[in-house]
Amino acid sequence: MKALIFIANRAAQGIIVMLGVSAIVFFALFLTGDPAALMMSPDASRAEIEAFRQAMGFNDPIWVQYGRFLGGVLSGEFGNSLRFQRPALDLLLERLPATALLACTALLWSSLLGFFLGTIAAVRKDSAIDFAIRVISLLGQAIPVFWLALILIIVFALNLRWLPSSGIGTAKQLILPSIALGAYYLSAITRLVRASLIEVLGENYIRTARAKGVQGWSLVVHHALRNALIPVITVQGIYFASLLGGALVTEIIFAWPGIGRLAVESIQNRDFPVVQAVVLFAAFVFVVVNFLVDLAYLWLNPRIRL
Amino acid sequence: MTRFWNAGRNADAIFAISLLVAVCALSILVPLLWPLDPIRGQLTATFRPPMSVVGGQLHPLGTDQLGRDLLARLGLGTAISLGIVLFASVIAVVLGTTLGMIAGYFGGWLDVVIMRAVDIQLAIPFILLILLIVAVVGPSMLNLIVVLGVTGWAIFARVARARTLEVRELEYIDASRAIGLPNFAILLRHVLPNIAGSQIVLLTLDLPRLIILEASVGFLGLGVQPPTPTLGNLIGEGRSFILLANWLVLYPGLVIGCLVVGCNLLGDWLVRRADRRGA
Repeated sequence: MKALIFIANRAAQGIIVMLGVSAIVFFALFLTGDPAALMMSPDASRAEIEAFRQAMGFNDPIWVQYGRFLGGVLSGEFGNSLRFQRPALDLLLERLPATALLACTALLWSSLLGFFLGTIAAVRKDSAIDFAIRVISLLGQAIPVFWLALILIIVFALNLRWLPSSGIGTAKQLILPSIALGAYYLSAITRLVRASLIEVLGENYIRTARAKGVQGWSLVVHHALRNALIPVITVQGIYFASLLGGALVTEIIFAWPGIGRLAVESIQNRDFPVVQAVVLFAAFVFVVVNFLVDLAYLWLNPRIRL
Repeated sequence: MTRFWNAGRNADAIFAISLLVAVCALSILVPLLWPLDPIRGQLTATFRPPMSVVGGQLHPLGTDQLGRDLLARLGLGTAISLGIVLFASVIAVVLGTTLGMIAGYFGGWLDVVIMRAVDIQLAIPFILLILLIVAVVGPSMLNLIVVLGVTGWAIFARVARARTLEVRELEYIDASRAIGLPNFAILLRHVLPNIAGSQIVLLTLDLPRLIILEASVGFLGLGVQPPTPTLGNLIGEGRSFILLANWLVLYPGLVIGCLVVGCNLLGDWLVRRADRRGA
């Protein structure tokens, strides 16, 4: 029962968040006062702007316009791209698989390696190996995605000529972008797993297990890791947002035809319906991921189910 | 026997502070003392590698596509980036701490509204929101400071609220209320000094995020407009020439790295110190 209330509560919060994001995305265009002038090219005549304003309904009261925008969003209608004259949602969905592929590859390798490194560092706390892993994870968080990406291109694409520096289609082309995107995440996971596991290894029930003769990796894997997972899982949602931001820059550098590149191109071309669609979509994914994280938390931590 | 990798608890902090001092020195001393112009170049001396000498003038970090001295541009760029980030963080801390204290102290519907606003803010990827707003209002240094500051408040509000909830229950707050001190005075004189420490630690840990965000916006060409250098602009401009002149990308990246490592180490050290005191 308590679990159901928890879930309903979190779902309701998600809906409120999405309403708030839609309002921000909508009203951002009115920051300068006149969205019609914003969307038209600077050399459009006064009459052209007026006609555009009429066509887009910018003369209606602002609440009516927001209602119309919200109604459109709920039925999957974000308006047409000003540049391509096609529904913004279609453009977004076309680019989705590329971004999903890149993000999932980056997430996969970095979480696996991060768990491995974090566990080793925690078990061998204060050893030389722990020190090396800590230095690597500190550097991974300090290096901006775009800089790491450029260094990777210089070394592996231009100097060694091992890997292609751009494009999509083959597995080889996926390697450099997913390394660049996953590096920050790797550091974050390593640090979290290490800190969390060190704390758990000091708990009473671990001492009990030790006293009963459980030793070595069995102790870590069966007794400690599951509990160490809880804090790691709960912050995933926050890191997911930075992953989205990183994907944006990574896609630009590696000419990866995903949503991030679509977003930046649309912003540069003042194609605001597409920008609105991308921001709303990113926030939606964020809300869903955080909801799933809450469910995972519920599953991992039986204490709050009671 | 102590080995160098656990050479004492304060080694981290000393290293972190040296990194930060070095970067600050670069951003202050180079614009003041280095004689070369960061904006106007010498078209006869383009793409000179680091340590090359042109007409008797040394270019320690080389020159760029317009023959501008990279050290001069890096010094000014670091100063501008640091300025943007510091002003923005002041806005974020003041806004977030104020709203967080109000939410925690008064509770009720104010608390609900402010905390939902925090959730909304955190649900939008920062870089997308910033790019959207900059695209609407136009790229300028002032706009960038305001946008980075106003969008960065949420995490400060969340922590300020949590700390205020703890402090609110203390007896001297009851006492202040009993002698009729207005809420405003209690918040300012009794709650704020108690939560200021944790807000400063949080700021140290949040600065790297702002530094990288500002650099990313500059890298994408939507920040401060050229020819003014910032750390992100320098890497963004150098990107087209990586085959010819990789130093244009290398050195600005190193400065960002030093800043972020310095802030992270310092922040972690402050957290550990606060934990030890509390324990």
